[in-house]
Amino acid sequence: MFENPEIAVDDLPKVETVEWQDMDPKFARRKLAESAIAFVIIVLAVVILQIVFGVVLADNGAPRLIRTLLLAPLVLVVPLFAWPLISVPKKGYAVRDKDILYKSGVFWRTVTAIPFNRIQHVEKSSTPLDRKFNLASLQLFTAGGSGGDLQIHGLPARAAEKLRVFILDKIGSTLEKN
Amino acid sequence: MIFYLGKIFKAISQNAVQTLAPGAAFLFAYEGDLMTRIALGLTLFCVIVISLAFIRYWFFRYQIGADSILIREGVLKKKQLDIKFKRIQAVNTTQNVIFRPFDLVTVQLDTAGSAKQEGYLPAIKSALAESLKARLRDETRADDTPTDEETDSTDASRKILSLTNFDMVRIGLSSKQALIILALLSPLLDNIGNRIKKMVDESALLTVLDNAGISIAGGVSLAITGILLLLLLLAGASITGAFLRYYNFELRAERESLRSTAGLLTRHEHSVSLNKIQSLRAIQNPMLRFFKRFRVRAKQASSGKRTDEGKQFIVPLCDLSQLPQLGAAVFADEFPYLNLDPTSSKWRPISRSYIRSRLVLFGILPTIAAVSLFYALIGNAALIFLIWLPLCALAVITSYRKYGYDIVETGVMLRRGFLGYQTTAFLHRKIQRISVTQTKLQERKGLATIRFYLASGSLRLPYVDFNMAKDLRDYILYKVESSRFGWH
Repeated sequence: MFENPEIAVDDLPKVETVEWQDMDPKFARRKLAESAIAFVIIVLAVVILQIVFGVVLADNGAPRLIRTLLLAPLVLVVPLFAWPLISVPKKGYAVRDKDILYKSGVFWRTVTAIPFNRIQHVEKSSTPLDRKFNLASLQLFTAGGSGGDLQIHGLPARAAEKLRVFILDKIGSTLEKN
Repeated sequence: MIFYLGKIFKAISQNAVQTLAPGAAFLFAYEGDLMTRIALGLTLFCVIVISLAFIRYWFFRYQIGADSILIREGVLKKKQLDIKFKRIQAVNTTQNVIFRPFDLVTVQLDTAGSAKQEGYLPAIKSALAESLKARLRDETRADDTPTDEETDSTDASRKILSLTNFDMVRIGLSSKQALIILALLSPLLDNIGNRIKKMVDESALLTVLDNAGISIAGGVSLAITGILLLLLLLAGASITGAFLRYYNFELRAERESLRSTAGLLTRHEHSVSLNKIQSLRAIQNPMLRFFKRFRVRAKQASSGKRTDEGKQFIVPLCDLSQLPQLGAAVFADEFPYLNLDPTSSKWRPISRSYIRSRLVLFGILPTIAAVSLFYALIGNAALIFLIWLPLCALAVITSYRKYGYDIVETGVMLRRGFLGYQTTAFLHRKIQRISVTQTKLQERKGLATIRFYLASGSLRLPYVDFNMAKDLRDYILYKVESSRFGWH
């Protein structure tokens, strides 16, 4: 028999009352490592440019524009190393019985909710850097594929695996019910 | 299990068209040579085309099984396709002029996910196509509501709307291409009266002065008539296109699907099961607004790629009174108070803060940047960038006023637009995921932006009350997680 009891909106389970799980603290360090690598590459590039132009244009000295490039690493150092420390604590996820929530963003703060019965498949991936820090990211695919699918970076590798199995289990059980 | 041999004998003609290009190149290369050579090349070409078509025909087999359809094709590279009936989103058939006397149709099966058409049966008997469609209909129904059998025994097929020849002209004139033409035409139209007058005067004067030479005014008039002719030609082409595609358009509602038939030379039949429709959108561009008509799109699940535009069921033209009928046909009684009329008073506005934030972001900040940047270079002339401010303000206010939303128990309706209107309705249960975003400014004002992700694409509702957004999210999640119907 089909039932349709009245729902009081105030009694619905609320997203805002969930306990958010922070990302792994190692994730910030991993991000910093990434920044460090990027920084080294930038510094190298600038130095090589200086040398090349210094040699080629030895008579006139390196052009001013090239010399000002030396400032680039100085300007970039703050955002590169501060951003992970700011953005990572803002990320978080929460798993409920019927859906998964993910929050992120510093200036644009977004909370996304995906019901398990809408997830098509789950993908776990880890880059070499991720593996170094024992991390993994999980990508949840819903139908349509519009606007990219939800990616949760920086989960502890074991938690990611557990979550993957849990979600697959949930997808399976909702399928059986239908 | 029935085994059918694919009747793509007629597809030879299509193959010929495909392979015509190298043939043409071949002919071109031998143009200077003897006629016999051309004749030889031509016959050789014909033989190759026909034999190729025959080989392709020979290797194309399909099989309709209990719950899936199996297609096998390919000469060198074998390809085998197995499509489950359950996964089929829509069935489209086309019948071109050559096929018509043979009572053959081409069937295309849409599935979600891939951008291109998947299942493709080049030439089968129309009766078989019909039975295939009936089969799919049964499949989708059996999937969902096995109990409603007694209610839908009454109506087999109900006509919702059909279009007249005059409607074809409207479709032609309101198509995207025609809009561009009109945009080009409108500044011309203003001047045209004056110019003609001037032209007549001057040309009369000039012919008196110089009978033999081509006058400047004559040149100008020639250019203008040329442009006008070109525009007329383009408009004509657009209208012709509309006739070819939508001639004799008829939309019918069947038990669990919508079906449209149209086309002058090639008859297109498009049918989509209702539960595969993700959202319903009524579009009114300025031209359609002038005609007081709408174009309606029922969107299906797509892979989100640009090439995926085809995965929608289009009703090229309908008027205001037909909108609710269409809505009722699509959503049945699951969507009470469905309202796609953009001018209705029921639309709730978004917050006025939208204007401020957009103006700052797209108007004031870029203007300051541009002025300060160019001030060093061109001095006071940089102040010309201030013109951007009123233009931007106008655009922002217009788009603010076009935003609107309305939420009912089972679904959401959104309205937006700039020059025209676009209203979209979808059911809560079709939502794949939902996100609520707040910027710093929105946080201070207690506002948020909601984004609804459907299988057919995502929709944004900006600058609404944060508490409302939270409640709506919780409610939608509840609806999605407790609904006994799926999204497909």
